[in-house]
Amino acid sequence: MSGIENSLLVVVVDTNPIWWGQSRDEEQIKLTLTRCLDSVMVFANSHLMMNHSNKLAVIASHTNKSYFLYPQKEHSKAVSTAEDDSQIRQVDGKYELFAQVDEEIKSEVKNLILGGLEGELHADSLLAGSLAMSLCYIHRIEKEHRSIGSSLSSRIMVIKGSEDNPAQYMNFMNTVFTAQKQNVVIDACILDNDSGLLQQACDITGGVYLKIPQLHALLLYLIWVFLPEPSMRHKLTLPPKAQVDYRAACFCHRNLIDIGYVCSVCLSIFCSFSPICSTCQTTFRFLGPPKGSKKKSKKSSN
Amino acid sequence: MAAEPTVRKSDCKDLHSYLKTLPVSLLDRLYNHPATCLAVFRELPELARHFVMRLLFVEQSVSQAVVSLWVANKHQAEFKDAVKALSELRVWQEKAITGGIMGWNLNHTFRQNMKIALLGGGNPWTGGGPLAPDKYAKDENFLDKYAMDRWECVLHFMVGSSEGTEGVSSDIVQVLLNSGMMKEGDSSDSMPSIAPAGFQFLLMDTPSQVWHFMLNYLETVENHGMDLVECLSFLFQLSFSTPSKDYSTEGMSESQLKFLQHLREFGLVYQRKRKSQRYYPTSLAINLASGLSTLTADTRRAGYIVVETNYRVYAYTDSPLQVALIALFCQMLYRFPNMSVGNLSRDSVRDALIRGITAEQIVNFLRVHSHPEMLKKEPVLPPTVTDQIRLWELERDRFKFTDGVLYNQFISQTDFELLRDYAKDMAVLVWENPVKRMMVVTRGGHDDVKRFRKRQRNS
Repeated sequence: MSGIENSLLVVVVDTNPIWWGQSRDEEQIKLTLTRCLDSVMVFANSHLMMNHSNKLAVIASHTNKSYFLYPQKEHSKAVSTAEDDSQIRQVDGKYELFAQVDEEIKSEVKNLILGGLEGELHADSLLAGSLAMSLCYIHRIEKEHRSIGSSLSSRIMVIKGSEDNPAQYMNFMNTVFTAQKQNVVIDACILDNDSGLLQQACDITGGVYLKIPQLHALLLYLIWVFLPEPSMRHKLTLPPKAQVDYRAACFCHRNLIDIGYVCSVCLSIFCSFSPICSTCQTTFRFLGPPKGSKKKSKKSSN
Repeated sequence: MAAEPTVRKSDCKDLHSYLKTLPVSLLDRLYNHPATCLAVFRELPELARHFVMRLLFVEQSVSQAVVSLWVANKHQAEFKDAVKALSELRVWQEKAITGGIMGWNLNHTFRQNMKIALLGGGNPWTGGGPLAPDKYAKDENFLDKYAMDRWECVLHFMVGSSEGTEGVSSDIVQVLLNSGMMKEGDSSDSMPSIAPAGFQFLLMDTPSQVWHFMLNYLETVENHGMDLVECLSFLFQLSFSTPSKDYSTEGMSESQLKFLQHLREFGLVYQRKRKSQRYYPTSLAINLASGLSTLTADTRRAGYIVVETNYRVYAYTDSPLQVALIALFCQMLYRFPNMSVGNLSRDSVRDALIRGITAEQIVNFLRVHSHPEMLKKEPVLPPTVTDQIRLWELERDRFKFTDGVLYNQFISQTDFELLRDYAKDMAVLVWENPVKRMMVVTRGGHDDVKRFRKRQRNS
């Protein structure tokens, strides 16, 4: 293949109702979910526009589930096309594929929001789950591509507003390392709170981490910084890498810590000392200093 | 020596180089349709595409200095290419901004129509309201098959096989003759015969063939009294349509309708009846704007060729077209109902080379159409065979012709050596023979050497 690189972009959008609800109450100028989704849709279509063979997937990272916004599952698609064939007809000058993408995303978000009101709401989103879902999807698509003998480069783009949940640390880091192994780049576009976890993810996979300084210009940031493919990025002048917060979360209380105890067998991290590793059940026996040296020190003291 | 094909519009490999040959006023009119804007956009170099995206929402000129800062210093060469491509296609124009600084300004119509394509607004691409469901709705497989059948008709006609050529209209023949892929028969009533360019055409993969053919067709469009811009817009519109979906012919202009009928002949669109109000774009049309990407009809059809290290070529096919293609560069030995055997010999390959087919095309053809069993091997084709084909091509380049002037009958050896050294210093010496005191100088260097010799004589 000469120069033609197929690229798959998976956009993970944070749709946490608590965070989006909060932000609307505080200030009117702040971004609403609708406007954010508009920007995301334009960004996603721009990606499709860049190349004929580019692929796209959009996943919503909700408070209690991860949900595919695009593409829809095959069977639900078949039902919808049979019902309202006329609906996909062009109504204006927009490219049909783009119109279809927009339509699907809009209807799926509607389903998600209307259907997700029951149950407990948390202030954080299931980011690790969404990332794992994206990786699975990428894996599947790459396998399909390999079977017809073409290459595909994939990346994940996370747009996140809500806070990190240290409870997801383990799962999150596992997906990040998987991504690294699969050569999947993770980019992060942060709307509100700096996320230590995503900083690490971007740093490990070689993606771009950017906290958006001006929320109303979201689309421009997306197009300028996140649209270029990773293979393209070294040619462009992009914002410098952010300082990475490399603190790990302890396995016992999920707190982010600077200094902690590490199990010498399985490398689990703990914020306080415990005689038995809770991960691999190793018991730590503490031997005193070797006897010979003890004697020597005794002798010298005598 | 094979005649070098003259450079003409139809030799352009991709859309970009084709568009560059169009006059400026035509380009500006082309950008009046979102589909053409999209197609042009995708043909730009990657860097240029990002520039367009960045400028799309900036409603004013951006200074050139700022734009050049977007690209890292190491990649200034690519930056220049991108700038050149954008200027050539008039996607952006130079414009002075305050303080006498030059800035880039995105072409207004282009910007407008890109926005329409991306964000919506404007008029629908195809006229007419929603169509009622088609009683005779066709699925993708049918359309693919239809397209390939139509297309193979054209190819059959080119190789001169009698099968299924009755569908080839005089328009297609005209295009083929015009492009130099076929030439008129000797007598007025005989069929046109294939020309060297045609052989090259036959060995291309289907999308390249369609593209090549369409370019040649577009050149004849204006002779038919059709508008080139309208045809091009329609063609791009087709290439961005959804497979196995029907579109209405309502609102199409007279020349577009005529164009549609032609496309129907080539198999780019399917229309049940000439008067039918709807048409289906086929995979041939949809693949058109994706340029020369390899993911197309050819990969879906299984290959049929097995090449062995003993230069035997086995073709598991019953299509006379495919056998005819192989016979272009093979000596055919046996023919069975479902399989034919040929031999790659020096003579057969040389014949092909003389007709203007390159070794690379032969090797590529064999590789693209390899049998699934062959694809399991790495490399797909036996290296001995591919190397030998290339060597046979090199063999024809043993002679290199250089125009020159012969100097002889030198009176003394020193005289000869003086002039020879002079010519050598000037790097115009082609050949020398000190024993016979003869030398050959290139034509360009002849004047200099002659003058030098005169001076030597006079002094």
